[in-house]
Amino acid sequence: MWELVRLSLRAIVAHRMRSILSMLGIGIGIASVILLTSIGEGTRLFMLGQFTQFGTNLLAINPGKAETIGVPGALGGTTRKLTIDDSEALARIPGVEKIVPMVFGTGRVEGNGLGRSVFIYGVTPDVPEVWQWGVRLGSFWPHGDPRKSVSQAVLGPKLKKELFGTRNALGEFVRIGGTRLRVVGIMEPKGQFLGFDLDDSAYIPIAAAMRIFNMDELTEIDLTFSHARLLEGVESGVRRVLTDRHGGREDFSITSQAAMLDVFDNIMNIVTMAVGAIGGVSLLVGAIGILTMMWIAVGERQNEIGLIRSVGATRQQVQLVFLVEAATLATLGGLLGLGAGVGICSLIRVALPGLPVHTPPVFAFLAVTVSVVVGLVAGVTPARRAAQLDPIEALRAE
Amino acid sequence: MSLGDLLRFSARGLSGHGLRTALSLLGVTIGVAAVVILTALGEGARRYVIDQFASLGTNILIVVPGKTETSGTVGAGGVPNDLTLEDSVAIERSVAAAHRVAPMSMGTEQVTYGERRRQVAIIGTTHQYKDARQLEMQKGSFLPEEEVFRGSAVVVLGPKLARELFIGEEPIGQVVRVGGWRMRVIGVLAKQGVKMGMDFDDLAMVPVSTGMRMFNRHSLFRILIQAGSHADVDIVKESIRQVLVERHEEEDITVITQDSVLSTFTAILRVLTLVVGAIAAISLTVAGIGIMNVMLVSVSERTREVGLLKALGVGRRQILSVFLTEAAFISSLGGLLGLGLGWAAVKVLVGLYPVFPASPPAWAVWAALIVSLAVGVTFGLLPARRASRLDPVHALAGR
Repeated sequence: MWELVRLSLRAIVAHRMRSILSMLGIGIGIASVILLTSIGEGTRLFMLGQFTQFGTNLLAINPGKAETIGVPGALGGTTRKLTIDDSEALARIPGVEKIVPMVFGTGRVEGNGLGRSVFIYGVTPDVPEVWQWGVRLGSFWPHGDPRKSVSQAVLGPKLKKELFGTRNALGEFVRIGGTRLRVVGIMEPKGQFLGFDLDDSAYIPIAAAMRIFNMDELTEIDLTFSHARLLEGVESGVRRVLTDRHGGREDFSITSQAAMLDVFDNIMNIVTMAVGAIGGVSLLVGAIGILTMMWIAVGERQNEIGLIRSVGATRQQVQLVFLVEAATLATLGGLLGLGAGVGICSLIRVALPGLPVHTPPVFAFLAVTVSVVVGLVAGVTPARRAAQLDPIEALRAE
Repeated sequence: MSLGDLLRFSARGLSGHGLRTALSLLGVTIGVAAVVILTALGEGARRYVIDQFASLGTNILIVVPGKTETSGTVGAGGVPNDLTLEDSVAIERSVAAAHRVAPMSMGTEQVTYGERRRQVAIIGTTHQYKDARQLEMQKGSFLPEEEVFRGSAVVVLGPKLARELFIGEEPIGQVVRVGGWRMRVIGVLAKQGVKMGMDFDDLAMVPVSTGMRMFNRHSLFRILIQAGSHADVDIVKESIRQVLVERHEEEDITVITQDSVLSTFTAILRVLTLVVGAIAAISLTVAGIGIMNVMLVSVSERTREVGLLKALGVGRRQILSVFLTEAAFISSLGGLLGLGLGWAAVKVLVGLYPVFPASPPAWAVWAALIVSLAVGVTFGLLPARRASRLDPVHALAGR
């Protein structure tokens, strides 16, 4: 048995050039699959991080039921408005921890003789807990009745830098839509989220925002609950309470962070698989290369096959010799490709830090497994051809 | 030795090992077919997007309330200065090149007829909207030409909404309830389907000021403007900005041109097509390696023949070209077959999904063919050189 394996290995070494080329084919295939899926997986993790930065036990309620239009709440405009009273009613649902009613708009923030058009969020002081986002300097305005406006504002770090530079901004005044507000806090940097630059924004009391924007309706209510298990209970609680308050009509949409994550995860997995499959075409072509070479090898080694058959080797053993040879070629090629793929990934990580790449160990394992399988599959036909050879004919072949 | 002889020598080399040749060919075929199919999908997506935009009307500009210095999403949420109907009227009056001006308000509301009800999107707009967005009527008429501030109690239904509410009944002239408002149905839109994520079949349209009163809104959702010609788009954009900045005393609006959105989209799709095509083209390299391998074998098998040719006075260059021809022949034949296979696959796809205009772009077809030929020549070079450098005496001896 060991003898047979040695025979296979000797054949690989004897035709060095040929073997290297066959391996190279599989190697390129595996490397491209590894590289592409790593980029896909990296992107998935990156986006996952984007979503989970606000915590996963988060529920968003928007006005308007989206039955035909994809984006709920972007249009707004229902006759029963989502109000601060609604949000206070929701806070009493068991399991709900913190709640932030929100009004959202764009406007010009002026301060220190400069002005900048940015996103303005009318919120309550619970933002740091609900969005899991710390205040770097100062603090939010004190808790109180959200209907009463306090003339205070918290700035995103980018907005602060644009208006006040490196100077201390706490205690300074900014003007938004004709209202003077004192800066009491600067948020920590958070970055972009789905096209909204959270750092280039101002956070002001909801009553002030509703007055500035002349709105009598909330854009969104965000709430957190204490444990993921409570999601369904809280969701149905929210639905019941709001439907009751809105005269029996469900004219709002509830989006749970978990549900969004699920949808998103699925999409990214499909994309990664599709891209990996496109890369896999190379693997298929590589397999055809091995098949061709093994076929040629069987033709060339008829004498050898005849000889080992005549000294008592069975057909199965002959078949095994060629299968082992094909599988070894493919596996070595796979390992080569894995090394190259991982190498290129780490190069990317150094050269292009913006492009997220991640190779999970299971991918590496799969890559090697796939290459073994590819080798076996590609080797089957030639190996059978070898096994079917008549020993006497084979010996006589020139 | 003539060219014909050379070709015959190559052809014999290939046909003598039918299976081997077929397998080398297959690699290139798969590679080229993959490139053709994938670029066809990418191109199809690009054309689909262009069609979608074209069906939304040409030379369209959209005024959105709100502006941010940070690039990204605009047109959501509140603004200190409303975008008003007066603004829309001012644009219509002072921007001569603005061909059509359609102010829009928007919301969701329940539409009720008898016992049947349906929650849909409501667009408040004017008669100008129909021509700007190229909407067709199934029956009845679109919103009347009336003073924008008047807002009569009439409604135009999307075909799906009309079907769901009036099963078999004639909707025109009937009174439906939109939220708390009684309105007369004056028209039903022709079937449009979903355009850019908006289902034009399942909505209702009302006069713009009716819509604003209904939703208790002071600000328009946006103003849709159609420029008279493509050349006017930029002029119109600038004039609108000037008019509104003057009226609001600050720049708190964003003007989006549909062309710029479209060109962003198509640019992204083009890059995507290129990347996917390039990934598929990696398989052509692998196929090339396969060809090289087979050619190496073929050179070593035909060592004696080569020795004989050399002994007969055939030059190095000719030997080189014999084997190069062989490699190039395999790869370009594989390329042609791949093209046929890919083309057939795309035809089948288009047959199954006629909405999706998949078609391989011309550049991809040429690139695939040229690359497949180049692959053969490149990877054939090493084996061919090996053959041409053989020492005739040793070669004849079969060593």
